[in-house]
Amino acid sequence: MTIRDYLWDRRAGYGTLAAALSLSLLFLAAFRTAAAAMWLLSGIFLISVTLHSIWDYTRKKAYYNRVLTSLKDLDQKFLLPEMLPEPLFYEGTLLGQVLSECCKSMTEHVAEHRRQNREFREYIELWVHEVKIPVASLQLMVHNLADPSEKMSVQLRRIDDDIEQVLYYARAENAEKDYLIQETPLQKIFGSTAVKNREALQMAGAQLETAGLEARVLTDAKWMEFILGQLLDNSLKYRSPDRPLQIRVWAEEQKDGVSLHYRDNGIGIPAEDLPYIFEKTFTGSNGRLANRSTGMGLYLVKNLCRRLEHRIEAVSAPGEYAEFTIVFSRNTLFGE
Amino acid sequence: MNKILIVEDDGVLCEELSILLQNSGYQTETIADFGQVLAQMKQSDADLILLDITLPGVNGEVLLQEYRKEKDTPVIMLTSRTGEIDEVLSMSYGADDYITKPYHPAILLLRISAVLRRGAKTGAVISYHDIRVHTARGSLSAGEREEMLTKNEMLIFRVLLDRQGEIVSRDELMTALWDNDEYLNDNALSVNISRLRAKLASLGLPDAIETRKKQGYLLQ
Repeated sequence: MTIRDYLWDRRAGYGTLAAALSLSLLFLAAFRTAAAAMWLLSGIFLISVTLHSIWDYTRKKAYYNRVLTSLKDLDQKFLLPEMLPEPLFYEGTLLGQVLSECCKSMTEHVAEHRRQNREFREYIELWVHEVKIPVASLQLMVHNLADPSEKMSVQLRRIDDDIEQVLYYARAENAEKDYLIQETPLQKIFGSTAVKNREALQMAGAQLETAGLEARVLTDAKWMEFILGQLLDNSLKYRSPDRPLQIRVWAEEQKDGVSLHYRDNGIGIPAEDLPYIFEKTFTGSNGRLANRSTGMGLYLVKNLCRRLEHRIEAVSAPGEYAEFTIVFSRNTLFGE
Repeated sequence: MNKILIVEDDGVLCEELSILLQNSGYQTETIADFGQVLAQMKQSDADLILLDITLPGVNGEVLLQEYRKEKDTPVIMLTSRTGEIDEVLSMSYGADDYITKPYHPAILLLRISAVLRRGAKTGAVISYHDIRVHTARGSLSAGEREEMLTKNEMLIFRVLLDRQGEIVSRDELMTALWDNDEYLNDNALSVNISRLRAKLASLGLPDAIETRKKQGYLLQ
């Protein structure tokens, strides 16, 4: 709030006062009042208006400036009513009341949505756990057939993967901390991901190579398995028709942590798509080639990595390879 | 023959588990009345228990904790909840392993035989007919003769030996290898089997591993 703004805002009031003074002076002149008296009267009038304006301007400026600074400093702007200074004038009180009323109503709204969101998420998780029972039964039934069908098992795995994706979507989108960070060897994580996807990998004739996976990282093993599962799934989906699928997974020690590299020799990612692959529902030109691309896999991968505080990057040479690198930072709190 | 008690409240799943285990040469027992799970668990003479974490009216973890006060039969927890917390909890309540739904049948069988082997008397020398198995050194010996096995051959031999007299599917062998971070393909498995056969033959057991078409292998 500047003095100009203040004066301009009150132009009508000052205009009226000026008109009142002029009119009074006109009357006084008509009654032949002494010029000195009129000068004196004008003086008193002007001085009191000026003093009042200065006083009023200072208190309002002080108040509003504090409001504006608070607003600027606040990370969550809606907390402003809590931070309002005690106003010394009525308009300030009014503003405070209005703001806290608004805030209260919004908080109630947000709480209601949070509750709905939580309930929905709880339902999704419950549903996922329920639906896994018939899937488990089916998987055993297929296995128990006199002539077990590998094809059916692969389809059941696909169903299970899609169900799992729902579960992780519910987790990735929510602020609740339901992961557990532990020191885990990368071999253990990659190993169980590979075993789970063994049929599909073998049917595709994939060749796996690993190196340096004895490195231990701080992560949530379950989430990480899901992440690697998504990468494996993509390698299977986007493999090149010209050569057998090869997947190389290796870890490197870096000064700020451990980096895990995952590289396949598939069709790669076009350069123009590369910046967007982690975006929700982005399918790109590869997605249009494959018949089942939801654009959710890598989005979830990125989101889960962000929540676990791992860095993930992708590089690719279209037609040759795609490589994903996940960097696990070292535990700086406890040292080595 | 090892006996396995299945504590699972979903009827269909329980039955399929029974069939799977019976096909793999185990004897099975199921729970009839979930009102008295604990009593039935304690009465059972099973060598291993498969315990579902979510049972009607009672929590599997609490159940296990109670059970552990009296008996130390190995327990594998079955769970559909993927939360790590559950696993950690069930571990601290005394479960020997856990497996999440939906079960990968071959992985389930692998875990079961691993837990049973761990439970068997340790220190005993493993032998097969006249052959002594030196797991640590990675070799087999018969009298003066000794044959070194590769890691993969030893893994295959151990799986077959654990289930001696039963048919072990290629699927199970493959799972065991992959579970030990050996990502073999179909051809490589066949090559390993024939090398293992040749080594057993040179130790005087030429027909030890029998091939059952479309089913798998059987160690005599």
